Amino acid sequence: MTGSIHEKAKIELRDVRKSFGAVNVIQGLDLTIEGGEFVVFVGPSGCGKSTLLRMIAGLEDVTSGDILIAGRDVTDLDPSRRGIAMVFQSYALYPHMNVRENLSFGLEMAKTPRDEIERQVQAAAQILKIEPLLDRRPGQLSGGQRQRVAIGRAIVRKPLAFLFDEPLSNLDAELRVSMRIEIARLHRELGNTMIYVTHDQTEAMTLSDRIVVLRDGVIEQVGTPREVYEDPNNLFVAGFIGSPRMNFVDAVYMAKNHIGVADAVMPIPQPLIGISEGENVKLGIRPEHLTVGDRRKDALRVKVDFSEYLGSTRYIYCYLPSGEMLTVEQRDGRYFSPGEEAWLSCEPECLRLFTADGRRLRPAALHVEATP
Amino acid sequence: MSARRSASARHLFASLRYNGLGIIAAFLFLAPLAWSVLVSFKPSVEARQPPLPPWPVGGFSVQSYENLAKYGAGIWTYTGNSLTVALATVVASVVVSLLAGYGFSRFHFPFKNVLFVLIISTVMIPFQSILTPLFLILTKLGLQNTLTGIVLVYVTLQLPFSIFMMRNAFDAVPKEIEDAARVDGASIFAVLYRIMLPLVLPGVVTVAIFAFLASWNEFLAALILLTDQNKYTLPVLMAAVRSGQFGTIDWGAVQSGVTLMMAPCLVLFLGLQRYYIRGLTAGAVK
Repeated sequence: MTGSIHEKAKIELRDVRKSFGAVNVIQGLDLTIEGGEFVVFVGPSGCGKSTLLRMIAGLEDVTSGDILIAGRDVTDLDPSRRGIAMVFQSYALYPHMNVRENLSFGLEMAKTPRDEIERQVQAAAQILKIEPLLDRRPGQLSGGQRQRVAIGRAIVRKPLAFLFDEPLSNLDAELRVSMRIEIARLHRELGNTMIYVTHDQTEAMTLSDRIVVLRDGVIEQVGTPREVYEDPNNLFVAGFIGSPRMNFVDAVYMAKNHIGVADAVMPIPQPLIGISEGENVKLGIRPEHLTVGDRRKDALRVKVDFSEYLGSTRYIYCYLPSGEMLTVEQRDGRYFSPGEEAWLSCEPECLRLFTADGRRLRPAALHVEATP
Repeated sequence: MSARRSASARHLFASLRYNGLGIIAAFLFLAPLAWSVLVSFKPSVEARQPPLPPWPVGGFSVQSYENLAKYGAGIWTYTGNSLTVALATVVASVVVSLLAGYGFSRFHFPFKNVLFVLIISTVMIPFQSILTPLFLILTKLGLQNTLTGIVLVYVTLQLPFSIFMMRNAFDAVPKEIEDAARVDGASIFAVLYRIMLPLVLPGVVTVAIFAFLASWNEFLAALILLTDQNKYTLPVLMAAVRSGQFGTIDWGAVQSGVTLMMAPCLVLFLGLQRYYIRGLTAGAVK
């Protein structure tokens, strides 16, 4: 294995494609992950995020395109020669070996001297606090301990990059939070490049330096968690990132920086580009940006359907006269009974507008080229 | 109080009935084995008498075993033949089915499923119907009347089941374990030997037990394909012993042969049944 544990390897994907027969799973993907960066791939089931990770790992052949790790073309190299280590969803520990043997297997395969193996295993066990478990078999460990061992197995190989394939999916909610924090700490301590596949938005938002949102084998957006959440490139990203998801309602673009929604006329900060007056648009509003207030010309009239109390917050589900549903995140503790009428307003800066086919409409002054 | 007493009586009755039926079933299964073993220790003359009582009345004797040992080329020659054939069949069946099962389970190649169905479908061909062509093929290859020839026939007959068994065993191992080993730098043979083999061991044991029992007990092919008396296996020897001399049958020698033949089967099965049962149920539950 090359490089020290602190080496920061850049990973580049150049027009990478993958097909299974006639089905194109990854459709010409370009992406650069900087050395030491923590990048999370998110997307709905079947979007190709795990396949992409397995292609980077070398466990899946690349139909066309190049994969470079630390400047070296690894497209046709064996997984073990790419300088990566992978942590699997099901831990994938060797059930017939104890923890020590699991950790040292990769080093044995690399013909590392015995005393060096022992030193590495001890060091990894110390980092992950699994020293008392070294002589146990995986079957005698809890889910969290197994995942720690799986991460330890990755650490001992001193990889250039760590690849995580939904590593916390099999853990219960409480353990997931603590392991998430551990992975973040590990990244801070080791500083390696990490690629992490998940469908859990909290993991994506909290762990990543950048999020890559995938759909049908295509990158929909790459950006920091804040960029992806606050400035989505399209309707899909806006709807996929955020829980509860963004509200979408039909609207009409009107003159003088206004849009018409149901029977309300709402102002927008600046004129939009790429759209003309009278055209239909989709209006996106995050639940936390809607506030229940007084009757006004720019407020949406809704009827409350039901509400959910979550302690620190309350979700109110209501519908417009047109029948479109809206979710409101309300923190003032006020109770709304089903059927009650309410007026919802939103700051103009918080409104996100999209064309009917899902492209983002940006104010002229803020317009930036879509990434990537 | 009386209700509790009647419940307790019901429980006792149920327990007696359950255990009683178990004991009867065990007796029915074990009686023939015990009878064989007991008769084998009767003196030759007494072994020819009506079978009751089954135990030796005139004291235990190893005369039948001595008679059997002296038969033909000697019992150790035939036992050696049988052991050679059985162990070679086990080794060849395990090696071939391990590799084939791994291939069928993990690799993609053209006509994989057709080939697999073809192999499995050979189970439907009655073995007796291909004995003549097998005889001719072995003669052409110069393997007729050799233990190698008979081993090849047994392995061929065992393979459909063995490959089916091993493919199921490999299918039950999560693909991610193999992926992890590949990332760890294991070659394809290291993956098979260090990672997969210990995980499919119950399947291997099942294949081995089946191959051993089938080849150890097989009679017809051995009778037809082996003509030299010195190359007989134990089942063929037993038939020869049973036919006797001048129409007399030495029942004691026959039963001592039966006892000798069933001993390794019992030891093997009882010793490995833990793996065997796990092998048959592999993949049934997660």
